[in-house]
Amino acid sequence: MAALRALRRLGASLAPRCPGRCGPLISPRAGWPQAASTRSLGTSALLFSARKFTDKHEWISVENGIGTVGISNFAQEALGDIVYCSLPEIGTKLNKQDEFGALESVKAASELYSPLTGEVTEINATLADNPGLVNKSCYEDGWLIKMTVDNPSELNELMNEDAYEKFIKSIED
Amino acid sequence: MVIPSSLKNCFQLFYVLKISAAGFKYTANRGLILQSVSSDVYQNLAVEDWIHDNMNLENRQVLFLWRNSPTVVIGRHQNPWQECNLKIMRKKNIKLARRRSGGGTVYHDLGNINFTFFTSKKKYERMENLKLVVRALKGLRPQLDVRATDRYDLLLDGNFKISGTAAKLGRTVAYHHCTLLCSADRFILSSVLKSPYKGIKSNATPSMPALVKNLFEEDPTLTCEMVMDAVAAEYARCHQIDHRITLINPADEIVFPGINNKTKELQTWEWIYGKTPKFSISTCFNMVYEQSLLEVKVDIHVKHGRIEVCNIDLPEQWLPPAMCNELEKNLIGSKFCPSETTALASALLRICPQNYELHSKWSLLCENVMTLM
Repeated sequence: MAALRALRRLGASLAPRCPGRCGPLISPRAGWPQAASTRSLGTSALLFSARKFTDKHEWISVENGIGTVGISNFAQEALGDIVYCSLPEIGTKLNKQDEFGALESVKAASELYSPLTGEVTEINATLADNPGLVNKSCYEDGWLIKMTVDNPSELNELMNEDAYEKFIKSIED
Repeated sequence: MVIPSSLKNCFQLFYVLKISAAGFKYTANRGLILQSVSSDVYQNLAVEDWIHDNMNLENRQVLFLWRNSPTVVIGRHQNPWQECNLKIMRKKNIKLARRRSGGGTVYHDLGNINFTFFTSKKKYERMENLKLVVRALKGLRPQLDVRATDRYDLLLDGNFKISGTAAKLGRTVAYHHCTLLCSADRFILSSVLKSPYKGIKSNATPSMPALVKNLFEEDPTLTCEMVMDAVAAEYARCHQIDHRITLINPADEIVFPGINNKTKELQTWEWIYGKTPKFSISTCFNMVYEQSLLEVKVDIHVKHGRIEVCNIDLPEQWLPPAMCNELEKNLIGSKFCPSETTALASALLRICPQNYELHSKWSLLCENVMTLM
């Protein structure tokens, strides 16, 4: 396990510099597809991914194979003051677009949908006492869950920041 | 109010719902007004779930009118022990339901009307719906002073809450429902919406207590039917649809395939109590045993409605520590509810030695622990 972790760390530090070439380093990790062989998806995308968005206004960014999930600034503004965050148990297996919890704000419960397929590895425990963090810092301290990325190609189906901005403009019009 | 025969209605709705499920855009039915023939809260909430899960509302809106027999309805992320008096409710046979929308706790009986406005997520607009209700009421009685607040309550005479709001936003569909107190039993309302439990620590959404009044106290000549009909008429006018209220039976599997399972799920202990956000109770109570007063400290943590941590602090020597430990040990993992505790306590008693003093002390302790539930 320690060796694997070391490998992963190595992979992580190498990834940004050698996209597509350091794949074999991490290929032993169970459940990961042979990313190195799929050229369109560099291994770096699997290890690191800039924030990507769903059309349901969740974001995910991936680091060391673990995705951090939250809601967008547009969503938190639309919801208003969040008073309760209902989050899943660690270990919950989610399919892409599965409902994984809900945020309550101004008497409304808004469902949360998983951006990818994976397993919940961590939840943001500080939100229990301070749900307002989602409003104050939706991209940093107000993250919701962390999850494994079981099917990295799903990341390609999500919007990058620019595409998401355009998407918001289109729904606002 | 135009109410054709219920059979005809069922077929009509079946037809409408079928094509919606098939994804057709049936422009002649841009809006539907439904009214439940049931006064069972679980059935009526299941209708909301069914419409939310099954109907394509991209080009259609639905208004659902419903009333319930006496029930306390808590919000999705609320703690029933914190919000209501479960003891009085058990005694008076008042149901407890957890809805899927947010917001606070309300009391329903046949003197309260519920309106659910279903739209696509895009067209979800609570204030518009409330304004519609206000217009309907003013249409009936122009002199009524009813206003919507920025918390989406309706106030009568600027002071008294007559309506509360809650909402749920799903993938593509949203609904907003609101209550309207017309002639509800205000005495029962205030007695059940007061929690007797002390020392609860929780992050659950709290309710905001408000001064309430019944609309019909202002004008006793109104009836629930008149109000429902007026709101339906205003809804029909706004959405340029037929002013026809379709009666529905929420137990009808032909019209609503799968609805009875939804009803059952809403009735489960796991949904009503088990969905309570994690909480703890730290409190002490006094017990009188053979003319002496004892202080008992209790610390119980509850997750998913089940006891996770249990510490009962008794005066030394009063009960053999092994017996108290046994109770604590058995309570852990069990439901935080009196019937389960009763069963557990009597099972434990059976394996205890036949000792009258121990039995009566044990029973007294168990009885007192159960008053916390």
